[in-house]
Amino acid sequence: MIRFPSSLRNRFPALKEPVVVDAQSKSWQNGSPNDEPPFPARTPSYDVLEAIRAGQPVKATIHEALDGEDHCVVSRDFRLFYGDSQALFDISMRVPRGRVTALIGPSGCGKSTFLRSVNRLNDLIEGVRVEGELTMNGRPVYDPDVDVIDLRKRTGMVFQKSNPFPMSIFENVVYPLRIDGERRRKVLAEACERALQGAAIWDEVKDRLNESALGMSGGQQQRLCIARAIAAEPEVLLMDEPCSALDPIATGKIEELIHEISQRYTVLIVTHNMQQAARVSDYTAFMYLGRLVEMGPTGDLFQTPRLPETEQYITGRFG
Amino acid sequence: MTTTTTPIMRRRGSRGGRGEPMVWVSLLALGSCVAMIVALIALIVGQGFSTFWPRPIEELTLTSGEILLGVPVRTESAGETDNPDGPPARRTLFRVGNKEITGQPFRWIPESEIVSSTLPTDAVLVERTAWGVWLGRLEQILEVSGDERTVVAEGDVAWAQLPAALKAARHRAREIESLREGDVGEINAKLESARLKFRVAQLRHEDGDLSDEQLKRAEQTLAERSTELQAEYDGIRARIDELDREDSRSRVVFREPGSGAISPLSSNQLDEPMRLTQVVRVVRTNNLSLAGRLGVYCSRWWEFLSTGPREANTEGGVLPVILGTVALTMLLSVIVVPLGAVAAVYLREYAHQGFMTSAVRIAVNNLAGVPSIVYGVFGLGFFCYSVGGWIDTGPRAPMSTGSWWTLAAGAGVALAGTITLMMSARTAPGVVPSGRQRTYGMLAKVGWLSVALLVMALLATTPYFKGFYRAMAPTPKFGAKGLLWSALTLALLTLPVVIVATEEAIAAVPRSMREASAGCGASKWQTIQRIVLPRAAPGMMTGMILAMARGAGEVAPLMLVGAVKQTSDSVISAEPPFVHLDRPFMHLGFHIYDLGFQSPDSEAARPTVWTTTLLLIVIVLMLNTTAILLRGRLRRRFRTGAF
Ligand SMILES: Nc1ncnc2c1ncn2[C@@H]1O[C@H](COP(=O)(O)OP(=O)(O)O)[C@@H](O)[C@H]1O
Ligand SMILES: [Mg+2]
Repeated sequence: MIRFPSSLRNRFPALKEPVVVDAQSKSWQNGSPNDEPPFPARTPSYDVLEAIRAGQPVKATIHEALDGEDHCVVSRDFRLFYGDSQALFDISMRVPRGRVTALIGPSGCGKSTFLRSVNRLNDLIEGVRVEGELTMNGRPVYDPDVDVIDLRKRTGMVFQKSNPFPMSIFENVVYPLRIDGERRRKVLAEACERALQGAAIWDEVKDRLNESALGMSGGQQQRLCIARAIAAEPEVLLMDEPCSALDPIATGKIEELIHEISQRYTVLIVTHNMQQAARVSDYTAFMYLGRLVEMGPTGDLFQTPRLPETEQYITGRFG
Repeated sequence: MTTTTTPIMRRRGSRGGRGEPMVWVSLLALGSCVAMIVALIALIVGQGFSTFWPRPIEELTLTSGEILLGVPVRTESAGETDNPDGPPARRTLFRVGNKEITGQPFRWIPESEIVSSTLPTDAVLVERTAWGVWLGRLEQILEVSGDERTVVAEGDVAWAQLPAALKAARHRAREIESLREGDVGEINAKLESARLKFRVAQLRHEDGDLSDEQLKRAEQTLAERSTELQAEYDGIRARIDELDREDSRSRVVFREPGSGAISPLSSNQLDEPMRLTQVVRVVRTNNLSLAGRLGVYCSRWWEFLSTGPREANTEGGVLPVILGTVALTMLLSVIVVPLGAVAAVYLREYAHQGFMTSAVRIAVNNLAGVPSIVYGVFGLGFFCYSVGGWIDTGPRAPMSTGSWWTLAAGAGVALAGTITLMMSARTAPGVVPSGRQRTYGMLAKVGWLSVALLVMALLATTPYFKGFYRAMAPTPKFGAKGLLWSALTLALLTLPVVIVATEEAIAAVPRSMREASAGCGASKWQTIQRIVLPRAAPGMMTGMILAMARGAGEVAPLMLVGAVKQTSDSVISAEPPFVHLDRPFMHLGFHIYDLGFQSPDSEAARPTVWTTTLLLIVIVLMLNTTAILLRGRLRRRFRTGAF
């Protein structure tokens, strides 16, 4: 039987009583429950989360659909420590190439940490230590002789809060090329236009490329950051809650954009918004307290999660 | 389901919540600070601006029958009076000038002694190139040749002709001046350089580099050159004498009403009327319209700002003082800002934030508390005497060649070892070093430090270097007070300010910016260079502003390392290298101290003290305003329009 933390129980009176989910009658979407495929016949057990909370090792439930994919980022028993406190526990995740993979889970479960492990941005934080294995395109990310700079050049990153540099729009977009020493005006201009078009913002800013990026609206700034992230044609695009600070219209634009981008890049996106995950991603991974719980094709995970815990999270019962 | 909640009783009577008492306390604190500052500034501005305003000249008749002219300066109560019922006794300080006659140009006169006082329209105040002002009446313009005196003009005619005569005189004076300073100075410099050349030859002869033959030839060259220059000098001297003779013929008589004395040519020729060229300005104050007064006022300011001082600094202008102050301040910021910024970057960005960095930070902050005179002593001992002496004449205690080479070999070994360590600590760009490599890196840092120290020791004790200015010895070139050493000393003094300000500015650069840059694949240095430093620039400017204000206002250390009462050669001049780092200079702060406390005639110096103080404040204000405007422009770049 699940026992929610007292804070949660107090906030959601429904959680005060033990909840037994009637899997058959539960639907997560509008529409007739009868059209829904039935959940896999298995006894509902809430042991997984309980075990995680108790600190016991738990094996992640990975859907078979993933086996058929070509994987870009692969982690095996990946653990990460902030000083003495462990933030990631034995994460074994495969991120398929050319797909959008969403990371979901309650706050503080390590989504951002995992994302930042892929391009080793956590190296900037003092006292971070990793164990286990993480590879990108078959090449280990944490080998001692890995060129971190080069690794980061092969990944683009978009942050939760848009962070354009205090420079012109043009200089913002071509920043990755500038630090590579690119000076040819023509190359820069082309890359800038390509990236801005890729980020669906070209039409809005093409006449004011030399104006400060800080004068743009929040949504524009975030799309500019996406343009910057894709300007140097990275292999993997990491997005950490890119829409959390934006209004619905800007969010819609960026979701569309992610959809378009996904044809060319491997995208790993963290989101708090279930609908967003459902809309933009091909695969979804559910994490909890630093562990990977379940991962599978988004449709399957949302409609027929293997674990009731996943289903509970998706339907907003906790988290 | 029943819910029972305990109602929260909110207390309404708490003292802190009523009437905002802190508003009044803080207002009072701010108010008293502002009041004190405003009072100080108002005093300086008031006194500074009123000094040059032409004041009336009173003609006084005293109870003793004495008649004199005087400009009232200020009045005060004289304390005890004989008659307790009558009005309090008061006395007035008059500027009576005429120092050659009176001996004291300022005089307190009790009100009770004044029988009558008028404002004669024809009384003039004559500002002279020497001996302060003369108060009297214009009598004659004279033409003197030998013992014969011809009156050119008299009375009102003379007054009408005076401006033109003064203009002509000034023209002559300038011509003589340019010959004296320019041409003669040039010849002197040439002669000096010829002598130096010979001295160098002599020294090289002593070292065995030159043969007797060559030395003899050098001596001969010097002799030839000397004769040549002497001839040139004689020519100029003759021209100067001629001009001077001509100049000495134009005289002017200003007579004092009391004793009937005239403004003399010099203090031991009291009967000889003064030359026209000795007059700086003649003002009939009582006869001036407002516009006329304003004209005099402006011309005095212009003279103050555009000429050099005379009369032990109490008269004339402060141009060299301004130049010295500005040169020092500029040089100081050019030195301290890059130095402090680089140090702060290392401290904040590269150094491991641990015990050592905290210790360094505390030490730097404590440097700010060291009395500035201590910096002066250090600057004098280290920069002037040690470094400057080394530049002039080489190491004072050179090692023997044997031990020096041994030390050099040691330094070489240390260098080789350090380079080896560095090579083993080096990783491909972007690769995080392993634990062992990190240890090597640490050792390499220590190695570099010791190599640097060894190299310094080698330089300081080399037996092969005899100094750049040995020929000038024992006259020091760099081994004495100078602009460079002052700037370095003040740089040291203001380094904490710059480091702290820069560090704070760097720390304030948001983490998201660094992460964005790192995420794009920028190396640490690229991030610092392209993101952190531009964003920290306004903060660095703050440091620079503080350093500059300090540098412009500091006095104590400068007395030891560079500021002097008077200079013959300005630190900024038209001859290369334009800014003369080795020269001592005049400085506004020191000038104020010198005028106020070292002047033989403090009453005469008083007005100049105020104007100089005002000027110093205005210069600091201007420097700061420029920097603040610049900072504002930089800051605007970082303001975001989106929230
Ligand atoms: N810089 C840090 N130092 C120490 N602990 C951190 C740091 N960043 C995150 N953590 C911890 O790591 C855990 C995972 O954080 P995070 O990855 O940011 O979660 P999420 O993105 O899923 O909300 C949290 O418990 C958080 O407290
Ligand atoms: Mg997060």
